[in-house]
Amino acid sequence: MAPDQSALSAASALLKPAKWPVRAQSGALIWGECQGSGANPYRVVADIENIGSKCTCPSRKFPCKHAIALMWMFVDDGGAFQSGEIPAWVNDWMGRRRGGGAAATAKSEPKSMALAQEEAAKPADPAVEARRQAAAVKRAEDTRKSVLAGLEDLETWITDQMRAGLGTFVNEPGERCRRIAARLVDAKAGALASRIDEMPSRLLMLPTDERLDAAIMELGKLVVLARAWRAAPNDPELRREIVTSETREDILRDPRTPRVTATWEVLGERVVTRRDGLVSVSTWLLNLDASAQRFALLLDFFPASAGRRTGAFAPSDRFHAEVAFYPARTPLRAVIVSRADAAAAADAWPGTASDALSGYAELKREAPWRIEAPMLLSKGRVAADKGGRMWWRAQNGGALPLRMAPPAIALGADIESAVALWDGVRLSLIAAQSNWGRIDFDA
Amino acid sequence: MHEIETALAHLRTAWLAGRPAHDAAPQAWRDAVGDDELALLALAGQAADVLTRPDSSAGFVERALLPSLSTPTLPDAHRARFRRLLAPPKNAPSLEHPLVAFVAARGYAAHPADWLPCAKDDWAPDLYAPWLDWMRDEAHAAPGPKADLTSETYESWSWTERRKALVELRGESPAVALGIIAAKAGSEPAERRLRLIELLQIRLSEADADYLETLLKDRSDRIQALARALLARLGRGAGTPELATELAAMVELNKIGLIKRRTQLSIKPLKTPAQHVRRRELFHLVPLSALASALNAEELQLVESAPDAAFADALDFVSCVATTGSDAAVTALIAQLLESKDAPVALVRPLADRVAPEERKALAPSFIMRDADLFETALDVARDTLGQASHSTISASPTFATIKANVEIMARGEDAGRLAATRILELLLPRVGLLLDATGARDLLNEIANWGLSPADPRLDMLHFNAALTEKAT
Repeated sequence: MAPDQSALSAASALLKPAKWPVRAQSGALIWGECQGSGANPYRVVADIENIGSKCTCPSRKFPCKHAIALMWMFVDDGGAFQSGEIPAWVNDWMGRRRGGGAAATAKSEPKSMALAQEEAAKPADPAVEARRQAAAVKRAEDTRKSVLAGLEDLETWITDQMRAGLGTFVNEPGERCRRIAARLVDAKAGALASRIDEMPSRLLMLPTDERLDAAIMELGKLVVLARAWRAAPNDPELRREIVTSETREDILRDPRTPRVTATWEVLGERVVTRRDGLVSVSTWLLNLDASAQRFALLLDFFPASAGRRTGAFAPSDRFHAEVAFYPARTPLRAVIVSRADAAAAADAWPGTASDALSGYAELKREAPWRIEAPMLLSKGRVAADKGGRMWWRAQNGGALPLRMAPPAIALGADIESAVALWDGVRLSLIAAQSNWGRIDFDA
Repeated sequence: MHEIETALAHLRTAWLAGRPAHDAAPQAWRDAVGDDELALLALAGQAADVLTRPDSSAGFVERALLPSLSTPTLPDAHRARFRRLLAPPKNAPSLEHPLVAFVAARGYAAHPADWLPCAKDDWAPDLYAPWLDWMRDEAHAAPGPKADLTSETYESWSWTERRKALVELRGESPAVALGIIAAKAGSEPAERRLRLIELLQIRLSEADADYLETLLKDRSDRIQALARALLARLGRGAGTPELATELAAMVELNKIGLIKRRTQLSIKPLKTPAQHVRRRELFHLVPLSALASALNAEELQLVESAPDAAFADALDFVSCVATTGSDAAVTALIAQLLESKDAPVALVRPLADRVAPEERKALAPSFIMRDADLFETALDVARDTLGQASHSTISASPTFATIKANVEIMARGEDAGRLAATRILELLLPRVGLLLDATGARDLLNEIANWGLSPADPRLDMLHFNAALTEKAT
């Protein structure tokens, strides 16, 4: 049933129970969670009668290596699969699975499970490894030089926009940003290029009279980022902002990676289709225990062609987890190391400082290039101003304008606390606890 | 703070026009960045981001809190499934209206985080009246009941509460309700005036005729048409005799039956499309009583049997009866359509609005057992009888065989016919889930599992929801 030998080999590498924190069955359905390279585990379900399957990974192969591995493990040792009630995410996906029956294989090559297992067990060749490492060092130096040149061009570009007048820039940011973003891609500054690619949509979401200030903030952050990187090109956080992120394995391998074990609640999710053809899925977590590390962000990327994707969790899910954070001055992006379900409880969220923006100011002092930051808001209401624009109003004073119109219930709810993202201009509510219970927002 | 904002304003002005802003910057900033314009930009951006606050000096309008309802909201265990069912399906019509009605019939309200009525949702069950008032920002009107609804207290009731009270009053004391409507309809905007006059359909009688006559000259065409229709139901307002004669010439009234002779209206095909169009138009213009007179017959004779006609032509006639026929004519026609083996049950749909709630409950099983069009008719006419049909009623319907056949196609896993079966089940399974009682839903789930469809199939969501949502004792 595997589409090709490489899928079989890849599946063989996943036959380790440690990679599967969840494996369960009910009737002909088996399902599991596999911790892959992403921040979210991949969720897999298969029907052992008609060999249909579904997986959240971005692979275009069908069945993918995760589905093959799941079925392989079930055949080898079905007793390791706990009997359980079919979870909601299995129900959600069942109707969207591809047609029953094993898909016709693309090639009629012979496939061998023994060969797949042999390849997975093969030790690495030391000479090959040494050559690989030397090439990596050279690549890193080439990248540094290339990025440096790209950042010089970026500063020239920003200067040009200022000389032409930022009024002109805010009227046509799309094409201007596109050109410099393309240059930065060529300069191997892919992460920075993506950030600039998305800048026009951030600006154009604002009313005309606010775009100039927002452009000054955005361009100013780019200057800070570029100069910070020049001063410390090996800084992992800066490298992540400009070049590319570390892999999950890099994070877990690094002994300096900060780790926090706590009870976490899933606040919400934001799915954005980017101009570069990737879909980013951001899942926000709240630490319910008393701890300095209040928030965590799980961030995954999929090709848009892979179809509709979501994170593994639903808002309000709670679990005990060890979370490893990408190194940063104010850590936020993270991956889940290990997880166990926590009993659902109606606990209130942790308390917060009276002025939510004071925390934001501290964060921006440490990392002025950050676009947005999560905040825990104290008691308040959502209200409209005389012009009809929606605001968050704290009970103890202060108000922040909302990015999007909230659901109707938000205007009629007494909000005990809320979590939102603030970007210096607009507040994006993620979730709130209210007299009507939990309210979820489209962040 | 004011200094920062002033400084930023100067810098903004310079950069807007493409001028260097160095000279416009505060001295401390110039000292920090020197001649570096980009550094000044970074400093200004950070200051704007962190040191300024949005201007919230404009006044705010804080809404009243959303009121609680007397009906409990759906238990948390059912909310996820409710949200899934509410999401508009790709290949099927939305379930929003019947789903909300179903939940209400089981004694629950939707949680407001999952569903709130829109301001224009007059269709929402009465239990949502306080939320409708809130959505319309009319919650300031003190909710009733306090003093009874009268012409004097009318203004102190919200629109939703007024309408709900008038429906009840019209059922108990039609003349009192008529008095309030006659006194107050004129002060309402057109759409609400129409909704008030529609209430006169409840226990319509001769006592309403004089007021309806005054509406024949109303400024709204829709109200004039409604008044004419209601008067026609009372046997008044013959319309234009020439039109009735013209229509009578396009149909025939025949005698059928060997032992029990009865009349049957025959609506035969005409020679040209233009004639069909004209006949359709006439069925909209000519009251049933006028057509009967033109055929030298009584109104009830036209509905002694299901009409002999193609579906579209029969539908025109049924619509005429629904709009202008007396209550007795409507009841008679419904009975004939249900009894007839040849008349498609979909023909009863125009008559559904004329069926009183107590009659609807009694007739619902008959609608279901005759339904051969994927329960579309049964769902349309069920209204507040959703979630009450027994499994035996559903299994007696021709559509039940369609469910079984298509489930078996899906279960076999073959490609042939799979797409069509998928589409049919996506339509059919939610509908039958809305019609069945909880026991029937559980029985059907077991049957479907035996036929081979996975219990986790999301097309079974409505059946699972039904089976799990036991009726709240009131």
